[in-house]
Amino acid sequence: MNTVVRLVQFAAIYFVVLVLLLGVKWLWGLSDYLVPSLSDIMKIAVSEGPNDFLAALNTLMVAIMGHGLAVVLATLVGLVGRSTSIAGNITRTAAYNLQAYPIVAVAPIIFLFLGDGLSSRLLIASMICYFPLLLSFIGVFSQPVDEVEHFYRSTGRLNWFLELRIRTFENMDKLITVVVGSGTTAMVGTIVAEFLAATNGIGYVIRKALYQNDLATILLALFFIGFLSSIYLSLLEYAGARVRKAANQ
Amino acid sequence: MEIHCRNLSYTYPGGTDPVFHGLTWSLTGPGFFSFFGFSGVGKSTLARLICKDIKPESGQLTMKGVSRVLYAHNAERLPGWGSVGDHLRGVTGRGREPLLKDLIETCRIGSCMEKGFNGLSMGQKNRVNITRYLVQNFDLLILDEVLANVDEPARNRILLSLKSWFPDKTFVYISHNALEVARFSRSVFVLPQGTDQGVDFVREISGLDQTRQRGAPPELLQQKVYSILKAAGSVLPES
Repeated sequence: MNTVVRLVQFAAIYFVVLVLLLGVKWLWGLSDYLVPSLSDIMKIAVSEGPNDFLAALNTLMVAIMGHGLAVVLATLVGLVGRSTSIAGNITRTAAYNLQAYPIVAVAPIIFLFLGDGLSSRLLIASMICYFPLLLSFIGVFSQPVDEVEHFYRSTGRLNWFLELRIRTFENMDKLITVVVGSGTTAMVGTIVAEFLAATNGIGYVIRKALYQNDLATILLALFFIGFLSSIYLSLLEYAGARVRKAANQ
Repeated sequence: MEIHCRNLSYTYPGGTDPVFHGLTWSLTGPGFFSFFGFSGVGKSTLARLICKDIKPESGQLTMKGVSRVLYAHNAERLPGWGSVGDHLRGVTGRGREPLLKDLIETCRIGSCMEKGFNGLSMGQKNRVNITRYLVQNFDLLILDEVLANVDEPARNRILLSLKSWFPDKTFVYISHNALEVARFSRSVFVLPQGTDQGVDFVREISGLDQTRQRGAPPELLQQKVYSILKAAGSVLPES
């Protein structure tokens, strides 16, 4: 139900923007070369739609994999970063400093080393959403919940696993919000990677269309990106709600 | 069991005024004792110093015959997952199951056992919290307003029960209820209202150490309550 609402909201916004664009075209008398007519957009949708949809699906799959990779990595590094050991201090310092660096600037180096295939796109997608996740995870894992932990600490029962379980449970809403929010970042990362050098995905389709001044294809690509992103985000929200419900039982 | 403080000073990090300044005080257990004083005089701070949760700036705090100090306070919560019963059974040591059963009955928390902690009333939460501490192994248990939300008959029942069940243990009960501390304590340690220099002495007033519901005559109780309140600084000196 939530997915349908989200899709309807997206479609409404998309068509409002499209109508505004066509209104600007009509008002200023812009050429079809600059802003295609509605019939041209429809023609492109029919002829290129299936391929572009598959390209957007390809991008989404890479984004999901990158997102998953980032969540796993952020959890693992967050576990190290929460400790007060030397490794933990170094990890926290490195995370806080590195997150200030625009990862997308490193993307060309990744393409140089790994080529323009799946691995580069996957790595860039995960890197882009990894640092915001990591900072939140370190924050949650290292913040004591004294009202709950006190008893276990004073009776000698508080091991690292229980501590982690308490902190995760107490901050479940925050963690779910961060993971759901970073889903969009993963999609952005993948598209940026495809813009830069990849030979697959909807970013690559947009790059080609940009070189050909093909706004109809770009508009179609934007529709598919929004459509699939909405589905992914609502699925993440659904999964988050299930996790929240299971945790409270 | 003995606790001795000598010239103890403590100021909270970032604070300017000390909570204690040269505090000297001692307690010899076992038994049921109380800390009494108005908000902010340092009752909880002294408790946290005793259980080594915080360290004094200067002075000495020594304990004899105490290997395990536990400090329970009012703001504590059980983890949100699982039922209260699961948590209580999980923290009850071997051989203490009968004690847990008796405590569940005395604290009247049988109806809470299948519920989650967040679904309980404040009073039920207090009773569940004290139960899990009482099934632990301890020499000294500090109870910092742990029954603040519990109704008076239940509070009296619980305090009388723990006095009869744990005669060889030491309890330090922190409360704002002068009547209660006067009735049940062997000694009431009154922390007077502090000055800018902090509290530097603790006044000891003997309590009635009641072990039954009906105890001392009301006049005696009244006299004790008056002494406690006067020591705490709430009664104006007679002209």
